[in-house]
Amino acid sequence: MPACVDDRENATQALGQKLGKERRGFSCRWLVAIILSLGLTSPMWAATKLKLASSGTGFAIAGVSPAYTASFGTMNALAFGTPATNVTATALSNGALYFTTLNVSVQAIGGGNSGVVKAYVSTNFIGNAASAMMVYGCAAPSACTSSGQFSALGTSQAGATTLASGLNSGSSSANVGLAIFLPDNNGATAFTGLSALGCTLTFDLYLNGSGTSTDSVTLALLNETVQNAVQLTVGTAVGGLTIGNSGGPLVDPFSMNFGNVNALGIGPSSGLTTVAQAGGIIYSTPYNLLPVFTDMSQTSASVKACVSTTFTHSAILTLKDSATGSAGSFSNISTNCGAATSLSGSAGNRSTVARYLGLFVSNVNGATAFTGLDNATLTYTLTVP
Amino acid sequence: MKRMTLAIFAALLMASTSFAATQAANQANVSPTLNISATVQKAVSLTLATGTTGGVSHCAVVAGGGTPDYTMDFGTVDALAINNGNCNKFAPTTPGNTDAIYWSDYQVTPVYTSHQTFGSTTVTAQVTANFAAPNNLYVVRDTSSSNAATVTTPSGVGSFTALSTSSADTIGASGVTSGTALTRFIGLAVKPLNNASVTYATQTATVTFTLTVQ
Repeated sequence: MPACVDDRENATQALGQKLGKERRGFSCRWLVAIILSLGLTSPMWAATKLKLASSGTGFAIAGVSPAYTASFGTMNALAFGTPATNVTATALSNGALYFTTLNVSVQAIGGGNSGVVKAYVSTNFIGNAASAMMVYGCAAPSACTSSGQFSALGTSQAGATTLASGLNSGSSSANVGLAIFLPDNNGATAFTGLSALGCTLTFDLYLNGSGTSTDSVTLALLNETVQNAVQLTVGTAVGGLTIGNSGGPLVDPFSMNFGNVNALGIGPSSGLTTVAQAGGIIYSTPYNLLPVFTDMSQTSASVKACVSTTFTHSAILTLKDSATGSAGSFSNISTNCGAATSLSGSAGNRSTVARYLGLFVSNVNGATAFTGLDNATLTYTLTVP
Repeated sequence: MKRMTLAIFAALLMASTSFAATQAANQANVSPTLNISATVQKAVSLTLATGTTGGVSHCAVVAGGGTPDYTMDFGTVDALAINNGNCNKFAPTTPGNTDAIYWSDYQVTPVYTSHQTFGSTTVTAQVTANFAAPNNLYVVRDTSSSNAATVTTPSGVGSFTALSTSSADTIGASGVTSGTALTRFIGLAVKPLNNASVTYATQTATVTFTLTVQ
């Protein structure tokens, strides 16, 4: 068999006759030149390649075409803590989104051609991990710097999500966004721990509106870890005393100032009402506790409170709790945090626990009477069994 | 070097656990705190109410919710005590010469809180806006100046004395107890005055009660 049609020694007569009558044994160099020429002008024959790489500000991409790997690292559905390098975590009303960017590029796309890159989850997370983590994408030219720019990736080639379009010889790459959305995911589908195999995304390149991909690469998101998380915040209720937290909405301590109080209930501050109580008066305010918990096997939790630091004049000022705020419904909040007062034994995730906090002011006169500023601290504990 | 590594590790560990106590990951509980502050002030209260003395009629003490704080209406009166008024009356000792008195019991309740010194607390009363000229009407009170919860029920015009218009009369003497209602008697005397300036329209006077905690 000839190694090349230019192989004069082994060239067959028939081939030589077909390629040229005047020159027996047609030159192999000419054939190579023709093939190269066709390759440069015809997309169907091109060696067009789709590649993935770090965007520079996005997470690290390892591997080479057609198989890449990356990882979002350790995550939780509250976006609590520090995410992996070049990954941004943002809390949502129903979970958290960990997002980053990566670069997709097309090599040798050829002049006049236009490319579209679509991606889909070709191999999803296994078991409950699939309920805990969902892959989202963000199409260029969006900056992909906020959660609203991301949407769920398709899970089949037919339903693939377009991440980049209009790629051509003049602009052959684009930065696109990739994210993992972690829903609250409590109950039977809760998942925590390492998903070593993670999931695999397939990126397909389509040229000139073709329905057939020209090239495909995969990105395996490996070693993704999900942690459960808990959050409890104290908030102002409508018509209630304003609760402050100067450090930010998620930074304790929260603060509540009853202002000037007296045992006759004269002139309560805005947000306060007075409730009759033998021996003095109760200043009452509604307020809200918002428990949030994620990736817990249980769907309800307990919320308890204790007076961790009592008033200096604890015989004069006492903190009380009530479910309704009505007279006779208040009871002392425990000063023993080992036996804290239960505020809810079945608090739901993201379900407000509405309570009333009462400040009892004693009407005692005499040597033990007190006037002036005093402080106490309440500690609330959310426990998910 | 090993010691330095341990120190760095310890510092990193402390930093990682110094987040807000509103959130925690890889844990089943979290414990945020709420600081409560309040400034306690001492307070005083003095309220009036309709009397409850047995065997007598009571002119109602009506809370006005503003100025005046309370009102009491003795009704139609005359110097001969012919009209019954709204509650009780004593006829003049000498009709046409001495005064008739229309009267009622009432309650005054002092309340004071968060006072370290209170043993000499008193309740006083004074006519701060008198009936108009020719002053054929004037306010009277029982003659007691006790700090007791109740005083003797009046038995005649002699059981009353004019309530001062120039200084405070003590109606609850030193040592009145917080929260204990004092039953006292108040009335108005009608002079048998014949004068061109006498009016027959409704007349009003104002009595100011004062609680002093001391």
